[in-house]
Amino acid sequence: MLTRCQRLSLRAGAFILMWVAALLSRASAAELRAFPEYLRPDPFGGVVAQDNMQEGSREGINNARGAVVLQGARGGYVSFHLVAKLPQAGPYALDLRLADRAGNIQIDIFREWFHFVDADGHYYPDALIPVALPYRSRLPEPDNRIATQSAQAFWVDVWIPSDAVPGIYRGRATLQAGNARAALPIELKVLPIVIPADDAVTIDHNSYGSSWLGDLYPKMRERLGERFYESDEFFALIHAYHRLFYEHRGAFHQLGYGHGGKVGPEFAPALEGTARRKHVASWSLFDRHYGPLFDGTAFARTRRGAQPIPFVYLPINPEWPASFLWWGEPGYEAEFVNIVSEMERHFREKGWTQTRFEMFFNQKKRYKAFPWDGDEVRFPEDNKYFLEYGRLLKKALPPDTPVKFVYRADASWTMNDQFKILAGVVNFWVCNSSILSWYREAPPMLRERGDIVWFYSEAPSVREVSSAITYNPFKAWRWGVDGYIHWLTVNPGEDPWFHFDGGSLALAYPGERFGIDGPIPSLRLKIQRNALQDIALLDSMKKNHSIASLKSEAARHYNGSKPEDWWNPRPAMADLPPPQWSDSIFDQADEAHTGAIKNLHPAAWQSVRKYILQLASEAQ
Amino acid sequence: MRLQRVLRMFSLVIVMTSPLFGQAPREGIPSREKLMRDLDEVARAATIMVDGDLCQKIMTARASARMTVVDPKNRWAASDDFEVNHEAYIQTKKTLIRLSRLVSYPCDVNLWMPLEKSPGKIQILIRNANELSQFWSWGALYQDMIPAMREVLETGQRRAVAEKPGMVSVLAPVSNSLGDIVGLVEVVSRLPIDTHENVK
Repeated sequence: MLTRCQRLSLRAGAFILMWVAALLSRASAAELRAFPEYLRPDPFGGVVAQDNMQEGSREGINNARGAVVLQGARGGYVSFHLVAKLPQAGPYALDLRLADRAGNIQIDIFREWFHFVDADGHYYPDALIPVALPYRSRLPEPDNRIATQSAQAFWVDVWIPSDAVPGIYRGRATLQAGNARAALPIELKVLPIVIPADDAVTIDHNSYGSSWLGDLYPKMRERLGERFYESDEFFALIHAYHRLFYEHRGAFHQLGYGHGGKVGPEFAPALEGTARRKHVASWSLFDRHYGPLFDGTAFARTRRGAQPIPFVYLPINPEWPASFLWWGEPGYEAEFVNIVSEMERHFREKGWTQTRFEMFFNQKKRYKAFPWDGDEVRFPEDNKYFLEYGRLLKKALPPDTPVKFVYRADASWTMNDQFKILAGVVNFWVCNSSILSWYREAPPMLRERGDIVWFYSEAPSVREVSSAITYNPFKAWRWGVDGYIHWLTVNPGEDPWFHFDGGSLALAYPGERFGIDGPIPSLRLKIQRNALQDIALLDSMKKNHSIASLKSEAARHYNGSKPEDWWNPRPAMADLPPPQWSDSIFDQADEAHTGAIKNLHPAAWQSVRKYILQLASEAQ
Repeated sequence: MRLQRVLRMFSLVIVMTSPLFGQAPREGIPSREKLMRDLDEVARAATIMVDGDLCQKIMTARASARMTVVDPKNRWAASDDFEVNHEAYIQTKKTLIRLSRLVSYPCDVNLWMPLEKSPGKIQILIRNANELSQFWSWGALYQDMIPAMREVLETGQRRAVAEKPGMVSVLAPVSNSLGDIVGLVEVVSRLPIDTHENVK
């Protein structure tokens, strides 16, 4: 007979054994975990260092029962990371189902590519490869070539259309690896509120020319040979980039000429003749390129629906349509006015009246082709050229044209003077972010007179905290400007897959490596899109709340900042002519900005989102 | 000096009345031999036509002074402060454009000027609409002078260079009114033309 003490000891022993066995089995079992969008997974089951908050301060997306709990407004996406972790190398299958009898709610799933960044020797997920469910592969993922990879992350987009029925939707993610099986219940709460279709700020993604397409799609280029730049596939590729950014609540720009005035054939009508006899010879390539973008048919099968692109660069530059040979002579005016008038007529006859056509000068004298800076004027005498082109444009256009021509200038050093000198001529300003931060009064003044105001910067690299991509779009809304532009977004570098430069010049990647004749999105683009839909929703709440209080509260939730923290005092050095400025002027100006970024919490945007959804709930 | 200007004007009239002048239709691709002959002829005309005194007035004194200065407090000063005297630039550029139209296919005539205070260095000072050059490192404010350029500047003889695939350049001297060689032109073409190169 066992004593009571022995029985208790045995029971305790058995319990410990069971506990150890459970632990062991857990350690050896396949695992399925969900992370909120701001915690980027690494290939080993952890979170990248920049996002790796202390466990206690992490806000998970699992409820007490272990289910993934999501909520979102209609007309938008809810996203999260799903991570499959295996105890050893081998095959696995992943699936995810959500019960929706109406079939309205749709799930897009992407495999996260882990980029090796030489600069710090770490892996970051960013390129998102669309995959079909159930997804079958093995770990380590063969093409990602990480010998010790034990986890594969997937970005899950849940699309909630505006006509979805509000309520709770349930589903399940499952992972099968050999005999082991893991499951993760999913619970989606669809809120009655609908995210406005239109954005509160335009977020633009810039690029230059189209030779980069030939570089990023070498197989397609080889297949098509000399026909590449005139092929249907080429134009389909351009349209695919537009669609990608549009579906992520953004716009896409391609500047069609070089600093010396060379125009890519698909960016301009072909011209013939000279002086008075200069005329459009063919619209063929131009119309194939832009027709579907200006009438919206390029977006016909998108979730956001067919809409013309909001903005486009015109090919106008000092060498096109008028030759610089005639600058200052009647022939220059004749060539310019004739061709621009023909363009206006063509656009009008085609009904292309929703897109804003930008006359924009990008050349810089440092690139040695023209004597004046079109981009970022530093020397005041260059403004006379802007005035002359304003006169020429006015002369070329009928006063009552329904076609929206705008005159855009990208401004930095001398922006505050240009706002005055070019008032009534330039009506679209794209401003240097640091310098605009000195002129708090400028955006309302410019918008009051009908001008469009954007600012420019570049995307954060993957080495920055995940929420960094929300900073400039949020700042655009905070500042009360119309938009923000990432100055280059399609240049992933020499080898983005295995020797990544961090991606501050790329928010999309070429899909050719994965058998896709088009771009694939980045994780940063997804986070930006989700923030943009939140901003659109928040902005719509100004019907019931003062915009000042919405901005103030959102900033407080974002990084604990006050409204005045988003502006900088104008430094004394700015009173001197720009050639007497030193770099320190920008360092000082950027101090507040970089400080805010440096201290940005990975969950900064999540905090704003909670605030917005709280307001949304109250509104209901 | 005045006589030289008159001579230049006379040459200009001769050139303008040449059947080659004007925007002739961009016809078929010429043979390499014809291309070399054509470009050499344009280069010869350029030596006569391009006004070296005017070329020397293009850079402003401030830009010239800052061109090679490395200022750790102002890393981009040389590029940011690059400026030119507009009239001298425009007049010269127009001459270069006219010269490029002597042939009926895409051709650029670029102006290169050595840096007075930095021996062995040279800058491209005026580029043109086809964005062609065999020697310009895209974006470089100035760069090392290649031996062929040095030879042209020292001897006053034209030199043909065909290093990059498909491209041909003829380098020709530019002189001022004192008879000093102060720069050179690069008459360049590429056949077939790459319609997308340097559209960026």
